[in-house]
Amino acid sequence: MAASFFSRESTIAPPDFDRSMVPPAALAVHLSIGQAYAFSTFNLPLTKVVGITHSAPGDWDLKNVVWTFSIAIAILGLAAALFGRWVERVGPRLSMFVAALCFGGGFIVAAIGVHLHWLWLVYLGYGVLGGCGLGIGYISPVSTLIKWFPDRPGMATGMAIMGFGGGALIAAPLSVILMDHFKTATSNGVLETFVTMGVMYFMFMMIGVYSVRVPAAGWKPAGWTPPMRVQPLVTQAHVAVDVAWRTPQFWLLWVVLCMNVTAGIGVLGQASPMIQEIFSGRVTPASAAGFVGLISLFNMIGRFVWASTSDYIGRRNTYMIFFALGILLYSSVPTLGHLGNIGLFVAAFCIILSMYGGGFATIPAYLRDVFGTMHVGAIHGRLLTAWSVAGVLGPQLMTYIRESQINSGVPKAQAYSVTMYIMCSLLLIGLICNFCMRAVSEKYHFRAAAKTA
Amino acid sequence: MKARAIVLWVAVGAPLLWGVYKTLLNAMKLFQ
Repeated sequence: MAASFFSRESTIAPPDFDRSMVPPAALAVHLSIGQAYAFSTFNLPLTKVVGITHSAPGDWDLKNVVWTFSIAIAILGLAAALFGRWVERVGPRLSMFVAALCFGGGFIVAAIGVHLHWLWLVYLGYGVLGGCGLGIGYISPVSTLIKWFPDRPGMATGMAIMGFGGGALIAAPLSVILMDHFKTATSNGVLETFVTMGVMYFMFMMIGVYSVRVPAAGWKPAGWTPPMRVQPLVTQAHVAVDVAWRTPQFWLLWVVLCMNVTAGIGVLGQASPMIQEIFSGRVTPASAAGFVGLISLFNMIGRFVWASTSDYIGRRNTYMIFFALGILLYSSVPTLGHLGNIGLFVAAFCIILSMYGGGFATIPAYLRDVFGTMHVGAIHGRLLTAWSVAGVLGPQLMTYIRESQINSGVPKAQAYSVTMYIMCSLLLIGLICNFCMRAVSEKYHFRAAAKTA
Repeated sequence: MKARAIVLWVAVGAPLLWGVYKTLLNAMKLFQ
């Protein structure tokens, strides 16, 4: 009985199924796993598990605790790449369920790690097990959404991936509320919060598990016919996942995503100290936290808005805007800082972060255009390794350049200027790769491969 | 079917709106 509930066949939608139920099913998963972006709220409390109100001898060091998030993001990319084909084969329901088990279970294992005060168990729980949940959960609804919305693939995947950005907006205040609620004289509330969140996120992700459906073979929206006009870069053919990664287009898109994410993630990680140092004396830590929240909000909004816009203006043009406007905005940041105009500075970063989120959300539809729908989820999974690389490259570049600038005598307020120009050069590389994108050669198409076999 | 879709949208939309509200409250500090 249980096996049939999770089988792909049992998720095939009846003819009267309302496709508007699929995006919230995907959102239930992405809003949950998006919690990862707010893991930093646990960093300081995890250094006070023994001392409760302060770090005591025996408590974990912050530099060791922050590895939990890094492991989770690295495993996210690896799991998405490794399990992409499996997700395509078993369908969205079973993969969402496994993601829910891993992500919810990861919290529980991490809670046991906190209880026993074994940091390696926290790494294993939230980092490795939770990271698998992140990777599988991230890609599980993508190809399903693209098949349900052939008329609006950008909007559909943008809506789901918006959830990953929105998850942090929920998790950050929720974590604080729960830790305050569970705080006692003998516990700082982290352990109990981990258990509660593990159970809560598992249940919330089950909404997606129960609601998700795949369209019947040959289904298309009522009244919709595939566009007859041939659009450059949009194929009606399919490319298999094992063939796709041997095409130049895969690697051009890999660099496009990597450059876009590197630039954005570097800023996101340093946003709070950056605004405080550039506007020294005018921006307090509390208002800097407000700045981080605001750009996180634009990161979320950008995912939906830019991905939906790409349905009308095309994916390549959308990325051209990301890179060209990004270069313009990043290069204007030193001037805006010098002018002391906080409003314009904040506005520039809100647009920059909207394009960072937009880059994530537009890539599945871009892959669908270039490689077809057959293995788009698995191809997306492999492309997410670009995120893992960018996740290390962006923050390291930002930190290293800032420190070397300060060490060479540059005032802190101006230490970010060179960083911004280097980000511009990364975006220029992305722009060139995006400009080089052409349709995949027919020799790579699935049918052509079958004929020659 | 329509009613189920509405319930589903409310179930995922309500926590998201709460998160957006809390974020905007926090962001107000930037301009105070």
